[in-house]
Amino acid sequence: MPISVTMPRLSDTMEAGTIVRWNVKEGDEVTSGQVVADIETDKATMEMPVFDDGRIAKLLVPAGQSVKVGTQIAVIAEEGEDLSVAASGGGVAAPKAVPAAKPAPAPVPVASAPAAKSADEDETVTVGGQRIRVSPVARRMAEEAGIPLSSLKGSGPGGRIIKRDVQTAMENASARPAVPFAQVAAPAAQALAVPVAPATTRVSGGLVMAGLESERVAVSGMRQTIARRLVESKTTIPHYQVSMRFELDRLMAMREQLNTELAETGIKLSVNDFIVRGCALAMARHPYVNASWAGDAIAVHKQVNVGVAVALDESKGGGLVVAVIRDADRKSLRTISSEAKTLGEKARTRGLSAEDMADSTFTVSNLGMFGVEHFTAIINPPNSAILACGAALKQPVVRNDELTIGFEMTATLSSDHRVIDGAMAARWLKELKGLLENPATLLV
Amino acid sequence: MSALREIEFRDALREAMTEEMRRDQRVFLLGEEVAHYNGAYKVSKGMLDEFGPRRIIDTPISESGFAGLAIGAAMQGLRPIVEFMSWSFSLVAADPILNNAPKMLYMSGGQFGCPVVFRGNDGAGGQLGSTHSWCVEGMYSNVPGLKMAIPATPDDAKGLLKTAIRDDDPVFFLESERMLGMKGHVPEGEEILVPFGQGRIRRAGADCTIATWGRPVHFALEAAEALAKEGIDCEVIDLRTIRPLDIGSVVRSVKKTSTCVVVDQSWSFGSPGSELAAQVHKHCFDDLDNFVHRVHTADVPAPYAYNLEQEYLPNARKICEAVRAATYNA
Repeated sequence: MPISVTMPRLSDTMEAGTIVRWNVKEGDEVTSGQVVADIETDKATMEMPVFDDGRIAKLLVPAGQSVKVGTQIAVIAEEGEDLSVAASGGGVAAPKAVPAAKPAPAPVPVASAPAAKSADEDETVTVGGQRIRVSPVARRMAEEAGIPLSSLKGSGPGGRIIKRDVQTAMENASARPAVPFAQVAAPAAQALAVPVAPATTRVSGGLVMAGLESERVAVSGMRQTIARRLVESKTTIPHYQVSMRFELDRLMAMREQLNTELAETGIKLSVNDFIVRGCALAMARHPYVNASWAGDAIAVHKQVNVGVAVALDESKGGGLVVAVIRDADRKSLRTISSEAKTLGEKARTRGLSAEDMADSTFTVSNLGMFGVEHFTAIINPPNSAILACGAALKQPVVRNDELTIGFEMTATLSSDHRVIDGAMAARWLKELKGLLENPATLLV
Repeated sequence: MSALREIEFRDALREAMTEEMRRDQRVFLLGEEVAHYNGAYKVSKGMLDEFGPRRIIDTPISESGFAGLAIGAAMQGLRPIVEFMSWSFSLVAADPILNNAPKMLYMSGGQFGCPVVFRGNDGAGGQLGSTHSWCVEGMYSNVPGLKMAIPATPDDAKGLLKTAIRDDDPVFFLESERMLGMKGHVPEGEEILVPFGQGRIRRAGADCTIATWGRPVHFALEAAEALAKEGIDCEVIDLRTIRPLDIGSVVRSVKKTSTCVVVDQSWSFGSPGSELAAQVHKHCFDDLDNFVHRVHTADVPAPYAYNLEQEYLPNARKICEAVRAATYNA
């Protein structure tokens, strides 16, 4: 009896998989446990073993094609079975490709990044290892209309996107109502793998709404980098958030005292300086929070370089840079404070050098100065975590079972689940809580 | 009534020369059989009677000699018209016409101009064999310092030739034996002067620009009619002069159509067509939906056999195929 091999469900959320590469060909002998194919799922490229011995009678789905979980993809003939009989009798109807699978793409190197790039890159974008071909006028028209090239199916030779394809997309876009945001916000990985309906109105997480008047503002290089990196981060890193409240009465008191005493020297410590110092010290016992996912390994960093997110002037187009305070675990509060101040000013005036922004191992983002109570941040790759700090607010609090007034701050750690599990994040926050709530420890 | 007058291409050429000779005593015509025989193709019919043998001059079969004579006369202030029975025969006069005439103004530091017109039949005349079927525009337009006009209709033939005779630079004027009998409307009694470097839109269209000149203009118009039935709306631009080249008209058209087919009856390698295509690519890069497609004469010596010669030349079928390919309708 021929054995049917189907597309396995390799992750909880997997609905379809792409055969990146067959490692066997028809007629090959296979043994149980042998990896016969590489399957690209919504999360990663994984190896697919078989669970029977026999010979491959038929490969039903070519490399590069995406099929739904459960679809038959191969037939294995058991020992003694005739290959051709197994191939014809063991098969179900030819699998139906998930709509708009790429036209016979070259095998994708396993090492290639998951198909999750921002959708707004131009013709240099590679989809499944293939360069998008587009005629110059089609590229210009798509750009002007805000239609991502990766959403278009080319009807020209070799799949070249031509003027007609863009015109069709534009006509469909204007003929249809705007897509609900939820649909638009689909992960980029999906946006690339699944051919967008002709009515594509997806613009890298935004919408082209035919009925709205809007001014098109050219995007700066920094804005493009922010867009690219954050889409990459948000779509490729499995983010999750853990929040904790911090009692900052003692820290606020100590800060006031220190600032009074240091006033003559011109030093003014911010709450954020304490937080940076606290985060750096918390790494000593929790090295995995100070680490990076390296594909097949985790890089646990020996230096603690804390990045501080600096917002740039909105009137100048805004923007966000991360100034890095190197070896923050070995620097005093005073040093951290003066470095943060210098880098912040430099960022807003002259701009930071590449070195000023390089090699962060962790990032702190603070919106406390705006009175924000709580928010979450997107991880700054290759960091594995980022701490989003709200304001230290005076509010009714319970201390020693009594209702009183105190300073409290909520901070939220966004973590990369590939590196940091939930309990690890919680333990690190508890460590930080101990440091910030007993601020004398920050002084030594 | 005069507005509806139709005359042959050869008559239009004769009218241009005659009018200019009446207007300017410095103009004279020389070439093989232009006088007593009334021209090998009857272009100069009756001109000997009107202007006499001092201005309508029969020459020996000696292109290098009489071309050189004309250049010398032009340098001294006369305005000769040299008729080559065929441009194929001009090859033996390559040194005077290419090495002297176009460079004279430059090499003499502006002391000597060279207001000469060389004219004659260019391209395949119909089973004349490989050595008598030259399209010299491929080679000759390569030379800076000369002007080159290639008319497609009688009115342009007259208007361009009159402009050529008045021009102060050497003008290479390319006619076609296949077109001398073609009739067309040429207004009588009014001065027609077609400026150089101004193309003419022969047919307006939105989908594909066909840029060409000379005899292939008619093939292009024929192709455009056929393609219109398929729903492909072609714009046919007749460039009329190769030097100067009216790239502006082509660019304006291509910015509208996004596709371009260049039709040139010279060989493709290093031709006016390849130059035009390169210029379109440069000026219209972001407007193109496909690369510029080209229809040329086949890259072989002209065959003698009728069927092979037909297949060798650009024709409406080849232009249709190129337009379909360029517009992704193949």
